[in-house]
Formats: sequence, C-alpha cells, structure tokens
Amino acid sequence: MKTTEKINIRFPQTLAEALRLQARKNTRGTLLAGGTDLMVQWASGTPPPARATSLWNLPELCEIEVRDDDILIGAGVTHAFLGEAKPIHRHLPALIAAAATVGAIQIQARGTLGGNAANASPAGDTAPALLITGGDVLLASLDGTREVPLDEFWTGYRQIAARPDEIILAFRLPKKGSAKERFRKIGARKAQAISKIMAASRIRVRSGRILSAAIALGSVAPTPIRLTQVEALLTGQALTPSLVAQAEKLAQTSVKPIADIRSSAEYRRWVAGRLVRDALENL
Amino acid sequence: MNKAVSQSGRLIGQGMVRVDADGKVRGLTRYLNDIDYTGMLHGVVVRSPVARGRFKALVPDPAFDWSSVVVATAEDIPGENVVHMHDRTMPLLAEVGGELLYRGEPVAVVAAKTIELATEAAAHLRVEVEELPPLLTLQDAIAIFKKTPVKFDSMQDQDIVKGDLAKGFAAADDIIEAEYWAGHQEQLYIENQGFTVFPLADGSILCEGSLQCPYFPVHELNDPLQLPPEKIRVRQTPVGGAFGGKEEYPTMLIGYAALPALKSGKPVKITYDRHEDILFTPKRHPVWVRYKTGVKKDGTLTALECDFILDGGAYLTISDVVMFRGILHCALAYRCDNLIIRGRVARTHSFPCGAFRGFGAPQAIWGMESHIDAIAARLGKPPHTYRRQLHVRPGDVTPTGQILSKENGSTACLDLALQHAKFAQKRRQASRGKLRKGQTKYYGIGLSFFAHGAAFTGDGEAKFKAKGRMELALLDDGKPGVNIRVSSTEMGQGVHTIFTQIASDALALDPARIRFPMADTGLVPNSGPTVASRTTMVVGNVVYRASQDLKDQMESFASQRYFRGAKTVLKNSQFAAKSRRPLSFAKVARDMLTEHGPVNGFFEFKLPPDAKWDQVTFKGDSYPGYSWSANIAEVEIDPLTCELAVTRVTAVLDVGRVINPILAAGQVEGGLTQALGYAIMEKMGTGQNGLYDASRLQTYIIPTSLDTPIYDVKFVEYPYSFAPPGGKGLGELPMDGLAPAIANAVESAIGKRLRTIPITPEDLFAALHPAQGDNTP
Repeated sequence: MKTTEKINIRFPQTLAEALRLQARKNTRGTLLAGGTDLMVQWASGTPPPARATSLWNLPELCEIEVRDDDILIGAGVTHAFLGEAKPIHRHLPALIAAAATVGAIQIQARGTLGGNAANASPAGDTAPALLITGGDVLLASLDGTREVPLDEFWTGYRQIAARPDEIILAFRLPKKGSAKERFRKIGARKAQAISKIMAASRIRVRSGRILSAAIALGSVAPTPIRLTQVEALLTGQALTPSLVAQAEKLAQTSVKPIADIRSSAEYRRWVAGRLVRDALENL
Repeated sequence: MNKAVSQSGRLIGQGMVRVDADGKVRGLTRYLNDIDYTGMLHGVVVRSPVARGRFKALVPDPAFDWSSVVVATAEDIPGENVVHMHDRTMPLLAEVGGELLYRGEPVAVVAAKTIELATEAAAHLRVEVEELPPLLTLQDAIAIFKKTPVKFDSMQDQDIVKGDLAKGFAAADDIIEAEYWAGHQEQLYIENQGFTVFPLADGSILCEGSLQCPYFPVHELNDPLQLPPEKIRVRQTPVGGAFGGKEEYPTMLIGYAALPALKSGKPVKITYDRHEDILFTPKRHPVWVRYKTGVKKDGTLTALECDFILDGGAYLTISDVVMFRGILHCALAYRCDNLIIRGRVARTHSFPCGAFRGFGAPQAIWGMESHIDAIAARLGKPPHTYRRQLHVRPGDVTPTGQILSKENGSTACLDLALQHAKFAQKRRQASRGKLRKGQTKYYGIGLSFFAHGAAFTGDGEAKFKAKGRMELALLDDGKPGVNIRVSSTEMGQGVHTIFTQIASDALALDPARIRFPMADTGLVPNSGPTVASRTTMVVGNVVYRASQDLKDQMESFASQRYFRGAKTVLKNSQFAAKSRRPLSFAKVARDMLTEHGPVNGFFEFKLPPDAKWDQVTFKGDSYPGYSWSANIAEVEIDPLTCELAVTRVTAVLDVGRVINPILAAGQVEGGLTQALGYAIMEKMGTGQNGLYDASRLQTYIIPTSLDTPIYDVKFVEYPYSFAPPGGKGLGELPMDGLAPAIANAVESAIGKRLRTIPITPEDLFAALHPAQGDNTP
C-alpha cells in the first residue's frame, strides 16, 4: 500500500547516452517514459526496480515524420501530441481516435505511444490501432536499429520482442490510403476507463468488394490480436449482409477472452462479433 | 463576498456565494493531511489477514529494530475494550485468544516518526491465526434465510405492522411477488479518512480531524480510554466530503490513534490512503428485499408483505438504525391499509457496513419503486397514472399510523415532474425491446416517487434536544460580530453558508459580521451529528431561534442604555428607536461586551408536544417532517453493444423552504450523480479472501462528468412551519430514488425488468441474449 523503496532514476539527455546505459547490465534500468503505467504499478504492490532510465523528452524520440507512404512516429510522442498533430489525422484516424480515449487529459499529456506499446497490456488502448496498419516497430540498441513487424511485437502476456538492451525508437505506420478505418472502445464509463474490449479496423472496399481487411481487438487475449481468420473470410468477398453475419459469428467463435473485474468472458466474446459487424456496417 | 445579498437584506431564499468558496477555490484551505506537528508520530493499523479465524498471537520479528517504534495492542487499552455507540461486543482492537470476524479487523496500531517506518514495522508484525470458514456475503446469508430460517443469524429484528395482512390478501384479486438486490457502495469522499490525537498534560486528549459528528467520539470512547467526556475534545478540520462515511467511523480512528498517543505521550496521526480507505471503512449495506403485494383489479393495494434484509457485516455497529430507516421507507409513499414489514440485519464475515447518504432509504426505495412499476404493469396501468392513483397525500396514514399534514408536497412533486418531463408523451416512444422508426438505440423512460423522513427517527429529536449558541464576539478583524456555535460540520454541503444566511436574516445583521468557525466540542454546545437530513430543519431552527434570542437581548440592552427604554429594533445592522438617530451594531456590541462580559443567544430544539412515538412497536410519528421527490430517468441502450447511457433526469423535490437555491440544486445534482453510479456502475464484489474485488479508483467505477445526464431540477416548497425558517431534509433525498427510475426506464427500453443493481452492459446482454452466442443483428 505504501512504498518505502527508493528508485535510482537516470535522466540521459540523448538517445546515445540512453542506449549506452541500457547496453550494460549494471547500468541498465527499467525504461520510464511518461510513467503513467509504471507509477501506478509501483504504488499498488509491484515492487519498484532498483534502477530506472528516463526516456522522457529525449529529442530523438519525440518526432513525427510524414513520408510518401508511411508515417514515422517517435516512441516518446504523447497521446496529447497525437491529438495536436493534425496533418497525420487523416492518414491514421483509428490511432488518433484510440489515443483520445487513453485515461484522461492528464494521462494523455504524460503517456507516450512507445510506453503504451512497451507496457504490453492486452488492454493498451493504442495497440489494435497500431496493429491494423501492418507497420513496424523500430528498435534501437548500440548494435544499430532493427525493424520488427507489429504483428510480431507482442509475444505474450506483457511480453514484447525487444531485447533488454533495446529501446523503442519509433513506429513506422503505413498510411491508410483509400481504406476506411474505425475504432471503438467499450469501457465501463465514457472517460478514465480501461477497456472491456476494443476494436480497430482498416478495410478497403472497391465496387462493393472487400480488397483488404485488417481487424484487431484488444482485451480478448493475452496480447492485442489481429482477427486473421475473419480477415481471410472477408478478403476478396462481396460485402453482403450474409457475409457480415458470418464475420460476426466467426469473430465470436475465434476469440477466447477471460472474465475479470471489468467484464465477463461471454460479453466480451459477443461484443467481439458485434464490433466486427459495426466495422463492416460503417464502410 | 456575499455578492448575492438582496436589496432588502433578506438572504433566505437567495443564492448567496459560499462563505468557504474563496479558500477552497484558491487551494488555501488546509485539510488534516496538510497539517503536521513537531514530534508527531504516524500511525498504521495492523489488520487481520483472514475473514474469520482464531487470533493465536501477534509475533514481532526479532530481527527488526523496534527501539523507535510504538506498538499498541488490546493490552494497551486503559479501560474496557468496547466502543460505546456500537454493538457492545465490538472491540476497539481484537484480543489474542478471541475470534477475528472480518478481513482487516484491527489487531494493533504501530506508530513511528515517519509513515514509511511505521509501515515497515507493521509488516514485521506477524498475525498468527487459525483460519475458520467464513460466511462472506449477503447472498450466502439469504440462501440460509430461505432454506433454514432458524440458522439465519440476524443481529437486529424489527417489524412494522398495520391492519390485518391476511384479510388484505384475501381481498386481493391478484398477488405480485418479487425480490430485489443491491450491493455495497463506497462513499468516495475526495479527502480520505484521517485523525490526529494529542495527549495533553492533564491526561485528556485533543482530537483533530475530518468528521461529521464531533460529539460522537466524546461520548463513545469513555469506556476504552477511561476518559470522561470533558477529557475528550474534538476539533473539526475542513472536511473534504463525507456522505455518511465520516459519521460513525472516525470514532474508531480516534481510538486507534489514541492508544499509541497515550502510550508514547506524543501526538499520533493516522491517515488512510485511497486503497486502505476503500477496503477498511464502512460502506452502504447490501440489501435483499422481497415484496409480496395483493391488489384489486382497480389497483387498490390491499396487502403488502415485505422482508428487508441488510448485510450488516461482522458487527452491528449502527446497522440497526439504518435498518429502522429502511423499513420506515419500504412502503411510505403509497396507500395500503394492511401490511407487515420485517427488517433484519444479517451477520456476515465482512467489514461492518455503516452510514451512507440515504441510510437504508435508497435500498428500500430501490425495491419499492421497482415493484410499483411491476404492479402497474400487471394491472395494465401506466406507471404514472397508477402512482397518481395510489400515492399518499395530506390526511393519509403512514405504515406507522402517522397522519400526513398539509405540509407534504407529494402530489405537487409527482404532477410537476410528469408534466415537466412530458412523461406520458415520451413514454409512447419507448422501445420496449424493439427499435421504433428512426431509433438507432432502445429508448426508455422511467419514473420513481418517494419520500425521505427528515431528522432523527421517531422521538429521537425530542430526546436529543439539539442546542445552539449565537455568540457576540470580536471577530478575526477585531470588530464586533457574531459567531455561530453549533456542532454541525461543513463537509461540502454548504451548511456554513446557509446558517450564515439564516442568522443574518434572524438578526437583521450584515452577513459579513457573522462567522461560522469549525466545530470544536470545547466551544460549541451539542446540536447533534451532521446526519439524517436534520441540519437545515433542526439545527437551522436552533440557529434561527438563538439568533432571535441574541437580537432580543441586544435590543433590550440598546433600549435601556441609549434610548431611555424606548422600543428599539435591530434592523439593517443598526439599532433604531423612534425619532432617534440610529446606532451602529458595532458601537452597541462593543459597549455591551464591555459592560456585560460574554453575550450569547441560546436555543434548545423541541418537537411539537403532541408528537408520539413507540420505539418498541414502531407506531406513531416516525419523522417530524417528510421531504418528497419524483425522479424521471431517460435512457438509451445501444443494441450493438448493450451499452447504457442515462441521457436526461428530471427531479422535482419538496424540501420545504429552500434556503439557498444554488446550493440546493448542487446538492441535488451531486446526489443524483451518486445515485447514477449506484444504479449503473458501482460494483464492489467480495472475493474469497474477504476483500472487495474493486478496491481502487481503477476498478471501482463512478461516473465522470461525461457520464452524467442533463439534469432538470425543480423545487416545490411546502415549508415545515413548526420550525422556521421551514427547511425539511435535503441532503439524502437526491440519493434515494434514481436507481429504480433508471431500472424502470431500462424496462421501458428493452421490455425486461432487471432486479439487481448496478445494471451493467453485461447484465443487459444476459437479459437480451439469454442464449450464448445469440447473433441477432
């Protein structure tokens, strides 16, 4: 309840300095960005680490770059800044909508996109919206930078594909182009809520036929997931009420959510399908 | 300050700016946790790790350095290990060898210079127990009640009987029976519980902290601390919300802090963080209520049988009084000549439940107002016409035999609410489980109608005799003025402001010359606890009458001293006699203080002499006055996700004379929001470990401003003429009846009745799609 532990926090001023700290075991610390997840965990029973490395305001992590086909978003960009970054809104509407549902204004001002991804909660608000872009995570270490597809980034409950010496540098997110995106979060209330379930989708339709479909859910599995079976069912098909019903059903049978304090397994499974229907009915 | 003062100088009925607004808005107000003292120790409570077990030993870790830590156990209690107001078997701290009856039951208090050290020391005290099987929840207790009633453990029984129930059922054409459930609710005041206790040289203690009832600890800790009332002084610090949560519990907290304080000779402060406050302070009682009602075809309610069972937790504490108020509100609002209401308090191995805004009435009204809709549906009558037919009005007789006076605006509330919300018209748009043309969501509208008895139950006020004093004094600016000396506490509800308004009007004195210092039992007479929707009605009357007494004394002094006995009147802050130049209040007050010494106006509250009450049979006048309200809730349910939104709430209230309409409307909107959470969000749950499932703000969900509906609040005034200025109860009424109005609206939206609150999307899903995997678009 009340913590008496002291944490040694380092505040590197450059990415290079941060990477050097993380490279060696005896200087490596838990990575601390906005602190909106870690501070809560440390205050409610998780023993805090002896060392932490602050990534807050590292200039190399705070940039957004709009390129021809994709957008690079620095891991240190806050949810609030995404809301301000109007030029990217039309390219990544689901992500922008998701970032706007994170906690409350105060949390959005501190919480970062990289932090939300690294925390690897199945209920992380931005994860499904990142997944549907089919983009990559850029991981940096002293050895250099490598790209990991978002589909392979969350490897298990609260586990990510980054090595201990790596820092999330940025996200490379393909623009949606002519596809339509949708994001919907079901929480226990309209603000300051952790999701019971949420869905993000990026679906491209031409002449009544689905050319491509990416649909992702949060809070229904140990990690945020893509509904690959549903996507396969939809791709290449004519968008008909019967296809919508099939997709809804398939979504419900293909997820295996659990019951917890926020919701029941039955409700989550049912809503998973309902949100797929919602995406398909709003194209 | 006081910009809203009207030209006439009359403040009652005006929206005067809060007298405490400046400090609170600018963050200058200092709460208990802002106030530390040199040499002060911080206390931490050590608790039972099991819901039930034999307390074998308390073992300190020999490896830990205990030299700078004070540990107080039951052995350090100077007197008898019981707290007065509570059940006599409730110990202040559990004793080794005895039985631990709930998870978190205090077994010791550890105090040290820092909260960190005290916390660490507490972690090095091992509580050895032999675990026993607990009965954790009301559900478990009710299962026993239904299956083997003799084994059901009730800590307090009380029945209300009127007429002949068998005759009533015999006369009925139809019988309607149903059960309703509600769970715990947390008060969630902004400021957590906390108290500092100072041991003084003369052996007495001074207690400073956040509470509603300054005199409770003065009279409740005499036995355990072996201190007479005059040696326990309680001083209120600014209270950051209470809602009943700081009614009975601060006594326990003072007891915990007093033990290490007396042992060490140093002041000890105990404050809870949010998690500890949610886990280990009293909640609203879970309820199971069963109604069996007989009706004639024309709607006459011929018989009503009601079992009302509260979950009291492990000790009775004040649950008997909560249950009494509950059963008195179970069938209060409707005509019925034959009834039996049976109240019980179940014992479970859980934290003792306690006071929370409404105090049993919300639980009773939740059941009754759901059930009245169910009866109306069975009769084929619209819920509003049925309520118009059946509701009580002046001249009708309550379940306890009280005849309602003309000062009950029951009909006015109901009619104005129906008219204002366009209930009949909007009800035709209700979806009843099928989207109408143009609707994308299920729409429903629901009504509730109810009363709240103001002030203590029965002859409580007659026995109590609330006292108050208006003190002529030099104020903080060195100039004369008047101090309001009553034990009512400001906890956000606005009592400091409205009593200033009342005193200003009664004295005919500028409100800027009136102060309402924090309650301090060393300085204020006992005007009673700040509870039971009694403050405006009872203590407001005491302030009004004591102000008149002071005014009389000052006028008489001025008449003799300056005007040769000519009739003198204090008006507009001046003393005037016919054809004389008026004298300022300041001049007269200074002279009077110099020549007379202390000057005080006094009053002691009495009930009308013809009020009758029998505490054994529960017959007579159950409350001095009644406030009334009708609530209308409109809801939308998304068929896609079963998400529920309450979109609009109309509330019409008769709270008697409205002293400050702005503060009153604020009280109502706040209470309705608390009731909204009770109805659709707030769910604590109890785990097998005996702890609440939701014990943090992360998991205990209350409404945010985005979740609140449009509120449309209106007052109708039927003042309580016996006690000017005529206010009745306001504080609890807004909490009482929104939950059933919402449940009735849900029924109107989806065509199904839900009988357990909170009503969540998961519950709506289960009701709408009983077959799992149901795929209806």
